Amino acid sequence: MRFGRLAWLLMLPLAAVLGLFLVSLGALVWSSFAGADGVPKLDLYARFFARRDYVDVLVRTLWVAGLTTLVSLAIGYPVAWAVARHKGRRDWLLVLIILPWLVSVVVRTYGWIVILGNRGLLNAFLGWLGVVDTPLKLMFNTTGIVIGLVHVFCPFMILAILAVFLHLERSLEEASMSLGAGPWQTFRKVIWPLSLPGVISGTMIVYLMATGAIVTPLLLGGLRDRMLGTQIYQEMFQVFDFPRAATMAVILTATALAVVLPLGMLERRVSRNLKGAS
Amino acid sequence: MPWTAAGRTLVAAVLLFLPAPIVIVVMSSFTARGYISFPPGELSLRWYAEFLASPDWLMSLVVSLVLAALAAAFSTLIAFLGALVFTRKRFPGAAGFETLVLLPLIFPHAALGVVMLGMAGMFGWTGRFPGLLLAHVIMTVPYAWRPIVSSLRKLDLSTEEAAMSLGARPLYVFRRVTLPLLRPGLVTALLFTFIISFDEVTVSLFLVGPDVTTLPVRIFAHIQDSGSPVIAAISTVLVALTVLVVLLLDRLIGLELFVESEQRRRPA
Amino acid sequence: MTTHAGPVLEALDVEKNFGAFRAVDGVSLSVRRGEFLTLLGPSGCGKTTMLRMAAGFESPDRGTIRIEGADVTGVPPYSRQLGFVFQNLALFPHLTVGENVAFGLEVRKVARAEQARRIEDSLQLVGLAGHAARRVHELSGGQRQRVALARALVIRPAVLLLDEPLGALDLKLRRQLQLELKGLQQRTGTTFVFVTHDQEEALTMSDRIAVMNEGRIEQLDDASAIYDRPRTRFVAQFIGDTNLFDGSVAAVDGGEARIDIPALGASVAMAAPAGLLAGDRVALSVRPENLRPAADGPGLAATLHGRVAAGVYAGTHHRFRIEARGRELLLALPARPDRPPPFAPGDEVEVGWDASRATLIKAN
Ligand SMILES: Nc1ncnc2c1ncn2[C@@H]1O[C@H](COP(=O)(O)OP(=O)(O)O)[C@@H](O)[C@H]1O
Ligand SMILES: [Mg+2]
Repeated sequence: MRFGRLAWLLMLPLAAVLGLFLVSLGALVWSSFAGADGVPKLDLYARFFARRDYVDVLVRTLWVAGLTTLVSLAIGYPVAWAVARHKGRRDWLLVLIILPWLVSVVVRTYGWIVILGNRGLLNAFLGWLGVVDTPLKLMFNTTGIVIGLVHVFCPFMILAILAVFLHLERSLEEASMSLGAGPWQTFRKVIWPLSLPGVISGTMIVYLMATGAIVTPLLLGGLRDRMLGTQIYQEMFQVFDFPRAATMAVILTATALAVVLPLGMLERRVSRNLKGAS
Repeated sequence: MPWTAAGRTLVAAVLLFLPAPIVIVVMSSFTARGYISFPPGELSLRWYAEFLASPDWLMSLVVSLVLAALAAAFSTLIAFLGALVFTRKRFPGAAGFETLVLLPLIFPHAALGVVMLGMAGMFGWTGRFPGLLLAHVIMTVPYAWRPIVSSLRKLDLSTEEAAMSLGARPLYVFRRVTLPLLRPGLVTALLFTFIISFDEVTVSLFLVGPDVTTLPVRIFAHIQDSGSPVIAAISTVLVALTVLVVLLLDRLIGLELFVESEQRRRPA
Repeated sequence: MTTHAGPVLEALDVEKNFGAFRAVDGVSLSVRRGEFLTLLGPSGCGKTTMLRMAAGFESPDRGTIRIEGADVTGVPPYSRQLGFVFQNLALFPHLTVGENVAFGLEVRKVARAEQARRIEDSLQLVGLAGHAARRVHELSGGQRQRVALARALVIRPAVLLLDEPLGALDLKLRRQLQLELKGLQQRTGTTFVFVTHDQEEALTMSDRIAVMNEGRIEQLDDASAIYDRPRTRFVAQFIGDTNLFDGSVAAVDGGEARIDIPALGASVAMAAPAGLLAGDRVALSVRPENLRPAADGPGLAATLHGRVAAGVYAGTHHRFRIEARGRELLLALPARPDRPPPFAPGDEVEVGWDASRATLIKAN
């Protein structure tokens, strides 16, 4: 259908919403540089990095997000492969992945509290087995956070890799084998390089999501093992310090993008090299 | 790929690991005890009764449902109108425009929450429903955008031309040809954005107020305060609604859609 | 490479089922060293499945596959020393042309210098010298085809298996590559097992053709024998056009048989193959170019009276559809330069065939 000039009006609501978002973004960045007299300053950043506990939180955020991403990749990759190569209907396997993924983070984290808590399922079971006398401390520490975050975000990884595997021609594997490459060599020389776009985009999403999480780290990590997300939440709702929260939000975004944007470029390069893969 | 018994075991374990906490929450919601525990022991529906007897919880459920429905409707409509122009008009900076539409995807949610709080503040909507709605629309537009754009791209323009050659006028063509062909994309957009909004918690944390709280946020607050199994009962309601929408999507579109949309939701 | 005297590739009574469906039904086949053998048959008859079992991608439910005399039935594809050219080519999109060709050599840990030499040789062989650094998606369809060939040939396979490799190309390129492929096979002396559903392609390229139908080999013969002496109704009808006359054997006397043909209302005499008995149900196959007008000369084994329904000019031949005794016959006559067609629609004609020009097919 052809449109006249008036058609541009249809774009207006979308443009307005996007404009609003950009303005708010600008306002946030601005307030993170705000000085008392309205002149932009680096004060807030300087104060952030001067505080040992904040820097610890930042480092812990990077470390927890990185670990979450790695574990998600390690367990997500084989699952994606198994689903892609499953003979017969995939629906049930997909349900097992997609349903948990779409259930609210709060509910899933709550489930982990029931499982990992001091009087939780796992400790009750271990106690019943007689393996431990005193309950294991599985919650309110980094272990708990990583378990929870992996659970919450690894479906992103599985689905990103699966998207690539579903378009991977089986004949490429067969070609590799007919040329004499065994299973391991076929994996290393054909399957892995071809799955890189999925691996990279899964890594991007999981890392991004993990750095910005609040609910899971707060519920499973408590107030001691804080991440940037939980710290921002605290500054906002316990200290009511908007400028400091804004500063942390900018730092958080910067640390996420410092990983995500290069990966995005890498992903585009890799994808371009694979053009015509199907 | 080397495919050994160990690999199979790992895959099976992960596929059990993913639904496990949800299953446990659902099962422990039927406990008769006064504290959360698994296995639940004696069964009862007392916590569902408590949920239904509490105006606060019910109000949150209503807020969440209305919010999700409105956010889904608005972001699908906005994305649809925008995508219609985007796919059919050439304009400089089109690629940049799409990046902009998808921009909210590349922000960590904690940071996004602060941004949205600032935005709500600009309109005096802090802690009020319009602020929540606006934030949810901005967050879900990218999820509506992709299925709609891809169904618009798949649309064969010659079907519209065929209709016109048969004497149909533009509005009639739009109603009888274009819209029906786009239906799968629109349905996907509506249901997907509904689920995302309905289950959203991190960004909403920054936007709720004493009078308006969404169900996931209220659950979050209560988990911190108490171990009452009423939380499990309410979580179960939340799970049931999510399952319902997913089943609907499976029926209408097929679950493979999530695999593709996952590839699409790759940030910029 | 070990060479042994017998067939280079053998299938013995091989069967493959997909669920309740029998895709390959008791096929035995032996491929001679250095020949160009084609599996020909309609789509879905089991050609690909047969080839994939030879390569080791599928395992037969029954029967044995042998390569160079050794039973390889349970041997994985990467240990079989066979080359495979896929229908969709399956070139590795993340590798360059040179890297694609190098793949099999690297896996075999061939020394760098020798690798370089062999890659260059094989690219040269397929006419792609100097293209090693190109990316696969930069190549045309025909060039990709050649990369797939070079990649499979460079490992010097005992047999090269090709699954409809020319299927996706347009007719002109297809013809050209048919000739190149045949030339390549002769120059390298490699044994080719080639799959196609295109009878013309099979007839131009092959030394021998195995005609498959519904999971079985109906006839395995020289290309010319397949055309001239089809052994089953299916082969007669699938390869080229033919006129089939059903009948039964009235009598066998020495080397000669009399066959009653109801459609003619007469019986014809012809040479009897061994084992033919009176009472056997048979069919005669007469190719359109083996029919001729009675007016051209005496000596016809049988004649029919009919009317020309339609005629077309097909380059070297005029082809006519003739209605005779309630059925249709196809007649092809050589076109003579500067002469009008011998018949026009509506003409009455008397046509028949010389005894030696009909093929006897036993019904079973
Ligand atoms: N993996 C499979 N699963 C089920 N049926 C199959 C499979 N592969 C082939 N078939 C069936 O077996 C028959 C023969 O297939 P194929 O060997 O590919 O035929 P051709 O190559 O001669 O066209 C077809 O009917 C096909 O549908
Ligand atoms: Mg085939």
